[in-house]
Amino acid sequence: MDKSKRKLALPHRILMEAEKPARYTGGELNSVMKEADLVKIRFCFCFPDVYEIGMSHLGMQILYGLMNSYEDVWCERVFSPWTDMDAIMRREKIPLFALESQEPVKNFDFLGFTLQYEMCYVNILQVLQLSGMALYSRDRGEDDPIVIGGGPCTYNAEPIADFFDIFYIGEGEVNYRKLFDLYEEHKEKGYRKADFLHDAAKIEGIYVPALYDISYNDDNTVKSITPGYDDIPATVRKTVVKDLDGSFYPTAPVVPFIQATQDRAVLEVMRGCIRGCRFCQAGQIYKPVRARKVDTLMRYAEELLNNTGYEELSLSSLSTSDFPGLKELLERLINMCNEKKINISLPSLRIDAFSLDVMNKVQDVKKNSLTFAPEAGSQRMRNVINKGLTVENILNGAEMAFKGGWNKVKLYFMIGLPGEEDEDVAAIAELSNEVAALYYDTVPKSERQGRVTITASSSFFVPKPFTAFQWAAMNTPEEFLRKAAHCKTKVREQLNQKSIVYHYHDASTTIIEGVLARGDRRLAPVIEEVYRNGGIFDAWTETFSYQRWMDAFESCGVDYGFYIYRERPEDEVFPWDVIDSGVTKKYLYREWMNSKAGTVTLNCRDKCVGCGAGSFTCGICIQPRGGAA
Amino acid sequence: MSVSVRFRFSRKGPVRYTGHLDMLRYFQKAVMRSGLPARYSEGFHPHQIMSFAYPLGVSMETEGDYMDLDMTQELGEEEMLNRLNAVMNEGISVSRATVLKDNAENAMALVAAADYRVSLSGDTDKAADAVRRIMEAQEILIDGGETKRGKKKKDPKNIRQGILDMHIEEDGSLFMKLVSGSAMNVRPADVFDKLNEAAGGGLYTECICRLEIYALRDEKLIPLADADKKDA
Ligand code: SF4
Ligand code: SF4
Repeated sequence: MDKSKRKLALPHRILMEAEKPARYTGGELNSVMKEADLVKIRFCFCFPDVYEIGMSHLGMQILYGLMNSYEDVWCERVFSPWTDMDAIMRREKIPLFALESQEPVKNFDFLGFTLQYEMCYVNILQVLQLSGMALYSRDRGEDDPIVIGGGPCTYNAEPIADFFDIFYIGEGEVNYRKLFDLYEEHKEKGYRKADFLHDAAKIEGIYVPALYDISYNDDNTVKSITPGYDDIPATVRKTVVKDLDGSFYPTAPVVPFIQATQDRAVLEVMRGCIRGCRFCQAGQIYKPVRARKVDTLMRYAEELLNNTGYEELSLSSLSTSDFPGLKELLERLINMCNEKKINISLPSLRIDAFSLDVMNKVQDVKKNSLTFAPEAGSQRMRNVINKGLTVENILNGAEMAFKGGWNKVKLYFMIGLPGEEDEDVAAIAELSNEVAALYYDTVPKSERQGRVTITASSSFFVPKPFTAFQWAAMNTPEEFLRKAAHCKTKVREQLNQKSIVYHYHDASTTIIEGVLARGDRRLAPVIEEVYRNGGIFDAWTETFSYQRWMDAFESCGVDYGFYIYRERPEDEVFPWDVIDSGVTKKYLYREWMNSKAGTVTLNCRDKCVGCGAGSFTCGICIQPRGGAA
Repeated sequence: MSVSVRFRFSRKGPVRYTGHLDMLRYFQKAVMRSGLPARYSEGFHPHQIMSFAYPLGVSMETEGDYMDLDMTQELGEEEMLNRLNAVMNEGISVSRATVLKDNAENAMALVAAADYRVSLSGDTDKAADAVRRIMEAQEILIDGGETKRGKKKKDPKNIRQGILDMHIEEDGSLFMKLVSGSAMNVRPADVFDKLNEAAGGGLYTECICRLEIYALRDEKLIPLADADKKDA
């Protein structure tokens, strides 16, 4: 079907009222049109945030491409209508529609949300309601789409469990096909939603929250999580792509007309991370680390550029410096990209002689800043969080960079880490000063291009499920702000304070994120209340309201402090214990203890510490190296 | 070697809701995909040397807009068109490609007039009479807008001289030929508003389509594609 002949869901007059009408018209390059009558399954994929953010997300492009490669499935996209369009659609009573066919979401077989951050939860309710569906799974009918969630937040999606029929745990490439086959089977033999969901729950990675009963202790902690049937698993195990190199890659991603946050081709070189930073959830839930082959990546890069016309290519992974074939890959990419006049962007490279040399080749040194993420100011705290970056690493890297002509440095920190003292916070200021001082020591006056700029930013730490800090207590907003103010004062006391800019994030968003991250099903009414009181786009400072959340906790009788302000005991049952991420609770607790002792743990490449992910028998876990597997 | 090529393009359907800068980015990517030998600027982040004759407003369709591109090699018109059209998104296509003479003026500076087709709905039987009244009038005043700082209102402008032609086509749509350029620039939406006013309201348009853009050569309006042709 010709994209240019599609009838749009929104009339001209309404499109002209919108701030950016192209958010709602679809038809972009590489978007997929199919004949609705010729497919058996209509899947609507939703990123519950604004179009430009959602379109920058690689995971969506992967599943979109994969699902559309199935002849019997048509996967389309929908995003949260921005506040202007949200108001218009309510006023005009226009149901939310998918971008490709422009047909109402309610007519689809599946509505799949990717859950990338907790602050998008209210937008899920926005999308459900604008689609004309009941918010709670139990109130929806046989004809409503199956509402399914995937992505990192599903590792504890309990706060939104009542709104969903299914959570897909793990990498979608693995079992969506099985789920679709099952759905078609049920459709043929006479579909009943409850039967389908019951059977779906037997597929690995498929969590049907309604089939698990949660009971609570008198102290409000979870007592038990019990499956409602004997033939569904007690814990839901995540699915892992064992052969990443042979798995599907979207080399013809949809290219938006309007400028997305990521206006570039993205090459995922590796999945997972070998480093076990104790605050980091991604490092644990994407284990084990698996790399693609350089030849494969070169082929993808070429196809990507030919199919999209992007003028920039970005390497993506959690920690690209750890990619085994990096040197070869970059050499070959730089050759290819020079020829084609393509820019290469290299986020998340550790600063060392090699990376500086590469960056020198691909970037304008004067315009770009160097980025270090020490995450904590003092070495003591960096041991606590297991961040293996030392002051020497930073200073050596910075010195080389200053000699190479860089004079802007960004430093990322966290405040509110477990066991943090005021002196650890002050160390942020001291480290920033040291880097600034190094510039003046390294670069002679005659060669300086103005003043060095050190931008130090701190975010407030949120303990996440499936990390060593899942037992930890969070700071209160008052503590956060006091510490940030302390840091600021300390920055002002430094000799080179004029060269240092210090920023810190918003503390109130952090609190809500913390509650949602480790919350349980009793939070669903709170999220509903926030939404009913006008809460949408919580991830945006201009639309977020802390008060709205506080009011909702109050009116729902929920003590939110319970979820964040207490250190949890070793034997506490967590709401997310129903998920089996491969990484064992025993290992995480060991890491929690190591953190308290300030003991550093080696990364997967130096030594396997038996985290549990070895049970997936793939990636680094089955490669020969030191330590016991 | 450097050669400038002027592409005439059209855009139809839902893609008309993209803005001018988005079209620019769209064409840059399309040129990339096509493998046309674009010439790049110097510097760390080289970019294509591309410019448009007339920004396309959000929601406007076109059958005759122009994009100039510098290339490092001269190719035949058919080859250039085939290569670009092979990688176009549905709704956008190129219909002509003319190699420009060496000292050709920049397309934007050449624009002297443009043709438009305006879809009409609502009380369309009042349209013909309103058109006649506009064409007979000496003065058609539109709001002069605000001064650069946005403080004061400018005097109203008389755009009557800028309406070169206006009539109702057989299919019921409205045709307009309007003056464009730095001295006087008449916007089709403004003229439509005046027409609606003359009709006493009730007229609507859902789509304005630019049909052609002209340059002025020897007192005559000629399509931009023919204005600075090499060997012409
Ligand atoms: S390096 Fe550390 S913070 Fe980065 S992804 Fe790996 S574990 Fe997480
Ligand atoms: S099992 Fe060992 S090698 Fe595998 S992810 Fe865990 S610690 Fe790393």
